[in-house]
Amino acid sequence: MIVLILIFILSFVLGRYSVPPGQLLEVLATRVLPLEQRWSDTVETVIFQVRLPRILAAIMIGAALSTAGAAYQGMFKNPLVSPDILGASAGAGFGAALGIYFSFSMIGIQIMAFIGGLAAVALTYGISLRIRHDPMLALVLSGIMIGSLFTAAISGIKYIADPYDKLPAITFWLMGSLASINPQDIYMVVVPIMAGMILLFLLRWRLNVMAMGEEEAQVLGLNTRRLKAVVILCCTLMTAASVSVSGLIGWVGLVIPHLARMIVGPNYQVLLPASILLGGGYLLLVDDLARLLASMEIPLGILTALIGVPFFLYLLLNSKWGWK
Amino acid sequence: MKLELKNLSCGYGRQNVVDGISLEINEGEVIGLLGANGCGKTTLIKTILGLLPPHGGEVLLDGKNIKHWTSAQIARVIGYIPQMHTPPFPFQVLDVVLMGRTAHIKPFASPSSRDVKIAEQALEMLNISYLRNRIYTEISGGERQLVLIARALTQQPKILIMDEPTSSLDFGNQIKVLSHVKQLAGLDLAVLMSCHFPEHAFLYSTRVVLLNEGRILHSGPPAEAITAERLKILYGVEVEIISVRNRLNKELKVCIPSGYQIAEGDLTPAPKSDQIYALA
Repeated sequence: MIVLILIFILSFVLGRYSVPPGQLLEVLATRVLPLEQRWSDTVETVIFQVRLPRILAAIMIGAALSTAGAAYQGMFKNPLVSPDILGASAGAGFGAALGIYFSFSMIGIQIMAFIGGLAAVALTYGISLRIRHDPMLALVLSGIMIGSLFTAAISGIKYIADPYDKLPAITFWLMGSLASINPQDIYMVVVPIMAGMILLFLLRWRLNVMAMGEEEAQVLGLNTRRLKAVVILCCTLMTAASVSVSGLIGWVGLVIPHLARMIVGPNYQVLLPASILLGGGYLLLVDDLARLLASMEIPLGILTALIGVPFFLYLLLNSKWGWK
Repeated sequence: MKLELKNLSCGYGRQNVVDGISLEINEGEVIGLLGANGCGKTTLIKTILGLLPPHGGEVLLDGKNIKHWTSAQIARVIGYIPQMHTPPFPFQVLDVVLMGRTAHIKPFASPSSRDVKIAEQALEMLNISYLRNRIYTEISGGERQLVLIARALTQQPKILIMDEPTSSLDFGNQIKVLSHVKQLAGLDLAVLMSCHFPEHAFLYSTRVVLLNEGRILHSGPPAEAITAERLKILYGVEVEIISVRNRLNKELKVCIPSGYQIAEGDLTPAPKSDQIYALA
């Protein structure tokens, strides 16, 4: 929590246009206190129009992807799944790319992303049920297959997209970036992400029971069909909202729930809050790195994979806590 | 409370695995369900629990058909203890036991301190309070089975159903678990458990039900119901049932396999080494 707040403040201060911490506090304070303006308008623009939306977006998207990952893992009783692996991200990406291609509004793009994500998860899960092998492996495999199917479809859209206008938009957005975020985007995604998060948090105890397996959960008194539908809808909604503003940001939804489980254990009563805090802090930190590491912005999706993959391998090789 | 099966048929898909079973279980009884692999024990249990829809007949609790009950309603009356398993996530033992309270908790709520107290009492009753803060995936198989029994008790059920609760447990743990099961019947619970060994039924059940190819072959007190002829029908092997007396001069029965002749044609003599060379 404290670390998150520290990263939060640091993120305002750091950047191409530097803002001293004292000035930052003053500018923020004017929103509640009537203070005399002792700074340039540029500072105010940088803080409120550029950095604040971006910081909020990073925190929300990191938290959303991590929460969705944690919930998916319990729901499918499978510690190896995440929004990316289930194909939800690719499906949402396809929907959003289609939305961009047809020049839909932000809401239109989000709805398309949601439909795409939901279709992908439904396909993945449906296929995995028909594979009569190790169910854990079946789910991961069918997710990878559906994911590549939708990725191919995205490439198809890129191929037919207008190379001067739509193609660059789709390409940059797909790489995952928060650079072009504006305050309006924040308003658009805050509702679906908060709605999904709150509902999942309310269901935290049921998620615990569900993680014991569907049949057992039903015998313990859960309406597993309804619960599963609600949780999958929530997770996909959050993933789709994230993807529609930030593009494909991989690995957060797999790595952060594992890290959180290592720190606080598998009980969703503490695992969900931990995933939210860690996910938000992690993506904010990575986004800061994306802004600062090179003179040119590095796409966020590239960095999360570069950091996430080795980190996940480390967890795989060293974890006693992750699973089993 | 009384659990009643009336002419119950059930199975997977359209095929009937269990065919027209009628059975009554009352509180204080421990029913041992005996039968070969694939005779329909697990299918029957799943149907009673509402996991499979019955193909015909009824499951009645105190005379009421539970066909349209929600899973929460059923879970408040019937507790289920599955075969030993390992979940993928390392939950704390107390959390696993608390999951038994799920049917009593509102959809958006978490267990209260009252629920924790009920779970702790269940752990105490089974003498496993020391496991409270341990990790469920790291304790032994026998301990895990006792935790699952504790979980079923926190459901505060009237009926307990167990599917081979002692499979994959060692000798000592089998006896520990079964002794606890017998103790539970004293709490006015009705217990239905499927079991592997006729001897377990002799020792720990008040009545046995012999299930053969989806039908009840016989049902009655163990000493009367389990005979060499019936075991031969059930399992296809010759068994001798011998009465012995223990230190307390109590009569006990044991089953000793007396002969399963492997037909001569079934055994091919191992090829001699020169024949193997010839084949190569």
